[in-house]
Amino acid sequence: MSEPEHLLQLEGVAKHFGGLYALSGLSLHVDEGEIVSVIGPNGAGKSTMFNVITGLYEPDDGTIRFRGDGIVGLAPNRITKLGIARTFQTVHLFPNMTILENAMVGQHCRTRSGVLGSVLRLPATRREEEQIRERARKALAFFGSRLAGYREDQPAFALSYANRRRLEMARALATDPAIVMLDEPTAGMNPRETLELRDHIVRMRDELGLTLLVIEHDMRVVKGVSDRVIALDYGRKIAEGSYDEVANDPQVIEAYLGTKAVG
Amino acid sequence: MGVPTRSIVRAGLIGGVAAIFIALVGLYTKFATLELVGEQITLGRLMIVAPALVAAYAVTRPRIVAGERRVVSLRDGLIAGALTGLGTGIVFAAGTWFADLFGVDRIREVFISVTDELIAFLTFDKGIPGGLVILIVICIVGGVVGGFVRTAPEPIRKPAAVGVLAVLLFGLLQRIVPIALVELGYDADWLYRAGSGLTVLGGVVVFAVAAIADILWNRGGRRLKDRVRQTTETAPAARLGLFLVLVAILAILPLLLGSVISETLGQVMIYVLLGLGLNIVVGYAGLLDLGYVAFFAFGAYTTGLLTGAFLNTTTGAAQPALSADLNFYVAVWIVALLAAGLGLLIGAPVLRLRGDYLAIVTLGLGEIVSVITASKWAQPLIGGPQGMRGVTKAEIFGLNPQDNPQHFYYLALAFVLLAAFVSWRLSTSRIGRAWTAMREDEQVADATGISTTKFKLLAFAMGGAIGSLGGALFAVSIGSLTPASFEITVSITALAVVILGGLGSIPGVVVGALVLIGLPGLLREFEDYRPLIYGGALVAIMILRPQGLIPNVRRTRELAEEEVAQDAWAGGGPSGEGEAVAAVVPGGSLGGEREDLE
Repeated sequence: MSEPEHLLQLEGVAKHFGGLYALSGLSLHVDEGEIVSVIGPNGAGKSTMFNVITGLYEPDDGTIRFRGDGIVGLAPNRITKLGIARTFQTVHLFPNMTILENAMVGQHCRTRSGVLGSVLRLPATRREEEQIRERARKALAFFGSRLAGYREDQPAFALSYANRRRLEMARALATDPAIVMLDEPTAGMNPRETLELRDHIVRMRDELGLTLLVIEHDMRVVKGVSDRVIALDYGRKIAEGSYDEVANDPQVIEAYLGTKAVG
Repeated sequence: MGVPTRSIVRAGLIGGVAAIFIALVGLYTKFATLELVGEQITLGRLMIVAPALVAAYAVTRPRIVAGERRVVSLRDGLIAGALTGLGTGIVFAAGTWFADLFGVDRIREVFISVTDELIAFLTFDKGIPGGLVILIVICIVGGVVGGFVRTAPEPIRKPAAVGVLAVLLFGLLQRIVPIALVELGYDADWLYRAGSGLTVLGGVVVFAVAAIADILWNRGGRRLKDRVRQTTETAPAARLGLFLVLVAILAILPLLLGSVISETLGQVMIYVLLGLGLNIVVGYAGLLDLGYVAFFAFGAYTTGLLTGAFLNTTTGAAQPALSADLNFYVAVWIVALLAAGLGLLIGAPVLRLRGDYLAIVTLGLGEIVSVITASKWAQPLIGGPQGMRGVTKAEIFGLNPQDNPQHFYYLALAFVLLAAFVSWRLSTSRIGRAWTAMREDEQVADATGISTTKFKLLAFAMGGAIGSLGGALFAVSIGSLTPASFEITVSITALAVVILGGLGSIPGVVVGALVLIGLPGLLREFEDYRPLIYGGALVAIMILRPQGLIPNVRRTRELAEEEVAQDAWAGGGPSGEGEAVAAVVPGGSLGGEREDLE
């Protein structure tokens, strides 16, 4: 049976910490050019799913395929190099590096100059360094003037909260990914910033041709960007479909609001 | 009253206890007769004043009261200083009195430095009640000076402080400066008394010259420095020129300074190499390695083996089980290469370890190497407890680095420049960026596409290769190797050099080595107190300047400057909303402890 090939596919993925099943038998897929949102109450296993996909945790069971190849057991840096970039729920930048340097680190896995080239500053190395800088700037420019100009040389810790989130996304973009996984990108942002970010997510797909997998709590954002929504609870997929289908699914409502008291 | 009474009492007590400590460890008796200026100002006597002075200097610091920075006025500063000195003096005098009452001989059973001479020295030979009054008065004077140095108007206190420090330095370098002057063909009888400290005239002249230099520097020097910096930033040719001038100065230095200082500088440069190597591991990559002596020993012994050294045995010289007879300048590259391999070997088992655990394991690995060098087991190869001798003299172009310290200086300088160049180029490259990212957040670096395995191993290999050069030079400089040279103190000292200078900073390593190896090397009188000075220096640096003497830019980025740029931009540009938050909370959630990535 020839199944259509998905960009990213999870099958029967399980992950438990001691007796706690963070993920059990989770199967889902993401197709090229889609924006898929993952929703679910706190502790549903959304971030664990991200960590399992990106190799920070190894799943206890199941397979994860990226472009048809299994990626379970690969080191996180190898998975990033394959084309899966991510951001974290709590922002994780390199705080004492400058904004430009943060983005330049993203280009690391696309470049190759080694010790000899770096020490002798060979022409090829210099060209590559120039190219790293250029591409990092391009990634920063995605967010307009917010990360450009004088800010380039500021340490990341000096940025506002919203800009840190943007920089983290720019760093992910700088890895030249095929799919970007955003973990609650609008958490802690004010309504205006949230709106702006919603546009950014859509632009990532439309202008950069990326596929996105987004964990999001803000239902306006989920509604505005998603081609498809997947709801998790207790590490299982409880619903999948368009925003309206999922939002009206009784199981989803129950997961968010609790079981009706039987009386 | 500008300074809280409680602070004064506390500072006085601490000063007094410090003074008693100095007395108990024997510093006073040791330096009682080391004359700095004239016959009266000896180092021992200055040390009597020092605790009160430092305590008063500390207690009159500007304080933050109700969110406002308050500078202590000169009058309050002098009063608080005098009171602090009084407190110090009373505690000190009480201690001295107690020692006399209790019986010097009984105390000496534990503190061997407590003698009748010490009591006599502290009481200025005037007996117990009278001498103690003098002691208290001297402490009060010290306190007043301390308060003055902190609270006097800047145009007065800075040149005065610089002048006094210059006099102290020239006084302490009494065995070095006159010799250097004589070697330059200049007779300095008026400056130094024969075999002793500065003359009174010399002291005054040194003070005046230093103070005037400081004033001139404040007038125009800053601007000059800024100008030089600007030019070098815009024109690469100017930077090259500055570099050449620096190299030229370094090249003629041993001719100016004579062989005594050159020898010390050679030792300094061995530690600069160790520091540069360790700096890659600890400073750039953030891997705390406490077993760095392994590379030092490996470099030294491998150099011996490759250049045809002999083993010391009870029956005479013997050929090592495995050896070659290569030219040093060929062998040294093989040594570095092998050391890089050793770096991989040491790095591989500790890849998964972080922080404290890494430190403990590397400590153990270093200790293993130390033990092997001294073991009977390794005797056929490296001589075991008896060691080896006859390491190559590394002669080249008529230079003899082993027997002539000035020639060794040039050899070491070449290696230091090479190592500094390599680490600078690495730190500013893609590799350096990967190391920094890894140091900042290993897990995130991995998730951003950096192979942490590869770059950790690379750090150990590069650090090991550079460190082994230090070992190779050490082997050449003394010609014979014994296990006593390869103990854990080497690891600790190298780490102290890196930390004192500033983690991740190449100039910092140089300054750290100059301070920790150079100064004790020049001031042989302090040899017995080297660990005490190391400890004191490290504690002081951690409290006063945790980023090190010459910190890495990245580690001290000043938020203030950034804020100015930000405000200027926000004023003219579009929205700058939310920026103020970051300015108030530097680092914010980023700088603090990391939570799990969940």
